[in-house]
Amino acid sequence: MTVLQALDRYYDRMERQEAVAVPGWSYEPIGVVLELAEDGALLAVESRLDSRGKPRPARVPKWFNRSGKGSTPNFLWDNAAYVLGLGAKDPGKTARDHAAFKALHQPELAEETDPGLLALWHFLQRWNPASGLPPGMSEKQLVFNIGFRLRGDERLLTDRPAAAPHVERLRSAEGSDVEGFCLVRGERLPLVRLHPKIKGIDGAASAEIPLVSFNVDSFTSYGKEQGFNAPTSKLAAFRYGAALNALLRREGGHRLRIADATVAFWADASANEQGEALARAVEEATFSFFEPGETTEATSPNDLPFTALVGEALKKVAKGHAEADVDPALADGVEFHVLGLAPNVARIAVRYWISNRFGAFRRALDSHARAVAILPRPWGGKPPSVQRLLVKTTALQEKFDNIPEGLAGDVMRAVLQGEGTPYPRTWLAATVIRLRAGDTPNGWHAAAIKACLSRMQHEETPPVSLDENNRHEAYQLGRLFAVLEAAQYAALGRVNASIADRYYGAASSTPARVFGPLMRNARNHISDARKRGRGLWIEPRLQQIINCLDAELPHTLRLEDQGRFAVGYYHERAHRPAKAEAEIEEATKENQGDE
Amino acid sequence: MAYGVRLRVWGAAACWTRPEMKVERVSYDVPTPSAVRGILEAIHWKPAIVWRIDRIHVLKPIKFASFRRNEVGAKASAVLAERGMRAGSVAGLGLSIEKERQQRATLLLTDVDYVIEAHFEMTDRAGDDDPAKHIAMFNRRAEAGQCFHRPCLGTREFPAEFALLPEGAPLPANELPPDQRNRDLGWMLYEIDFVPDRTSRFFHARLEDGVLDVNRCLAEGTAA
Repeated sequence: MTVLQALDRYYDRMERQEAVAVPGWSYEPIGVVLELAEDGALLAVESRLDSRGKPRPARVPKWFNRSGKGSTPNFLWDNAAYVLGLGAKDPGKTARDHAAFKALHQPELAEETDPGLLALWHFLQRWNPASGLPPGMSEKQLVFNIGFRLRGDERLLTDRPAAAPHVERLRSAEGSDVEGFCLVRGERLPLVRLHPKIKGIDGAASAEIPLVSFNVDSFTSYGKEQGFNAPTSKLAAFRYGAALNALLRREGGHRLRIADATVAFWADASANEQGEALARAVEEATFSFFEPGETTEATSPNDLPFTALVGEALKKVAKGHAEADVDPALADGVEFHVLGLAPNVARIAVRYWISNRFGAFRRALDSHARAVAILPRPWGGKPPSVQRLLVKTTALQEKFDNIPEGLAGDVMRAVLQGEGTPYPRTWLAATVIRLRAGDTPNGWHAAAIKACLSRMQHEETPPVSLDENNRHEAYQLGRLFAVLEAAQYAALGRVNASIADRYYGAASSTPARVFGPLMRNARNHISDARKRGRGLWIEPRLQQIINCLDAELPHTLRLEDQGRFAVGYYHERAHRPAKAEAEIEEATKENQGDE
Repeated sequence: MAYGVRLRVWGAAACWTRPEMKVERVSYDVPTPSAVRGILEAIHWKPAIVWRIDRIHVLKPIKFASFRRNEVGAKASAVLAERGMRAGSVAGLGLSIEKERQQRATLLLTDVDYVIEAHFEMTDRAGDDDPAKHIAMFNRRAEAGQCFHRPCLGTREFPAEFALLPEGAPLPANELPPDQRNRDLGWMLYEIDFVPDRTSRFFHARLEDGVLDVNRCLAEGTAA
């Protein structure tokens, strides 16, 4: 299934719910409204901003995208340069723009009978840009788009019924039609030259960029220009553009932001009501999986948390339909699509496109939740979202901007494609790097490492919770390191630089070199602590671990084994007995008293 | 088909680029017939024959990966080259990477394995040629691994390995997972028709039990 075709089908679903834009119209931000009297006199200047100071969107006629140096006026609305001839930009261009605006409206509205449109015609006859800012308008409002309103009418001129026929007329007069085979609809139709622009992609050079574009010579082939390189009809282009823009609306519930990629996801709904409800249920479940809000009760690592979410969403559907239960198998059959888009200066790259039955997704997301499960759990109730997991394991200072480039896309692909796709090894490497750089090993890293190792071929999965008899040497070395750290704490309390800070990197990569001196010091720490009656639990623990190790420690550990080291370290640290904490406090106070 | 061939083709990566996402490349899920024809033509082709693809078997699961690389934004200009030829100098023909750099992402398929079933037909330029001669040449060359240039899986940086499947040999096992075996692939590029004006022709592709039956798909929906 192609991206554009799936979006085209989603437009059908939007149409059924009447949430669509009609060809030739779109939602644009209008910040200023000029109120006109019937004879064109300007009565008032109103501001149309929302609570955050941004202009509110209104449905206005717009059937082309502005580009280049020519003047292309919009009908019944536009920016201040076109409408009033005032603006901060090049005065020559502003004058041409205003002239073009007048030239469009004057012949078009000359025989108009509707009072609102006629008022605009009169206004344009009388308006002279040299008269400066209209009274009641401030300089700051010149950056907004301007709309018009007739006195006594609440609606903008664009919403008046008389405007629609003009829009249709002007739109169909636009451009010549080259016919060709449309690769979306599968029939011969007039082809589009410039594809629609997509809003809602973060991090791009401008607010709107086309998904399909051939803006540089080297991207074209066979002597074709622009959109003719991929013949798509105007109808299909409009439909997929409207669908994608609707999906990428910020509060739409279909949009996620995962590091550098903006993700749109949607389900195909069959025409009946139950189909629509099912589709909405699966979309909601997916959204709450990736954007966990408040935490709920903890689930055990063997649960299928995503299936549970889907179950909850389906129960809501059942309640709405007064049915006893909706069969989860029905939800599994819904076609589900995930499109990950990343900006690349003035273009959009598809980072991943996964289109499959929902059952496959459900199994994939459950498999991901099982892969990262670790005890003791480092997070609240639900498994963490991918963004949070990445920022806590790979980002310097846990800032979203510092997640390595491209990693989020590879991880998401592994999450969404399920068991068969291994997590990227670069994730393992980035996590180990952060641990060696000194990040606190708070369980997130151990979870990430366990996930990466669980899907690697020929690698044993690390255990979910502390496994005292694990056969893997690196795991036991990690545990040993945690116990040695505890010995130091028991003797000296909280020091400024513990052996964990100083020696973690060396111990996890070259254990043979480092563990000798560490064990010697540990003996001193243990006897010191024993003299004060602390840390008596350490020796038996130490003995148990050493029994599991070979006489010869490995000289170096591979990346995967360094990961196991981290997991063992986390498990053992988390299992320190409760009285150890109290002893550490005691030791710290003693030491501080000594100095 | 009396003169049909079966060729197994595999490789580490493939990118059967979609025309609509050709700038930031996105691959189709399965090979296009024209790309597969390119593989066969790399092994053996003469103006006397034209290859027609019958079936494409997809043997391994469809998995994607992505990477970005730096390319250039300008094309070499034929006009400038001609001028340079006449003037006898290469001044002005160079391409400065720093100015023309474009970074483009690719969403490609990894670890692919296909079996191609195809046959050829004789063209007007066949003269006295006998189809048997061409089939023997193809079989001999494919068996020996001979080719005019290394066949590629979509784009040149993804080389293809190939091996002939002799008549009567069983097909290799199909490792596609059950949820990938039957899919509607939408309108897929069939080929570029150079004769009128290089228009692209499309057909409605469907994967049935892991097989893209090109003939059947063509019979149902017309390409142009």
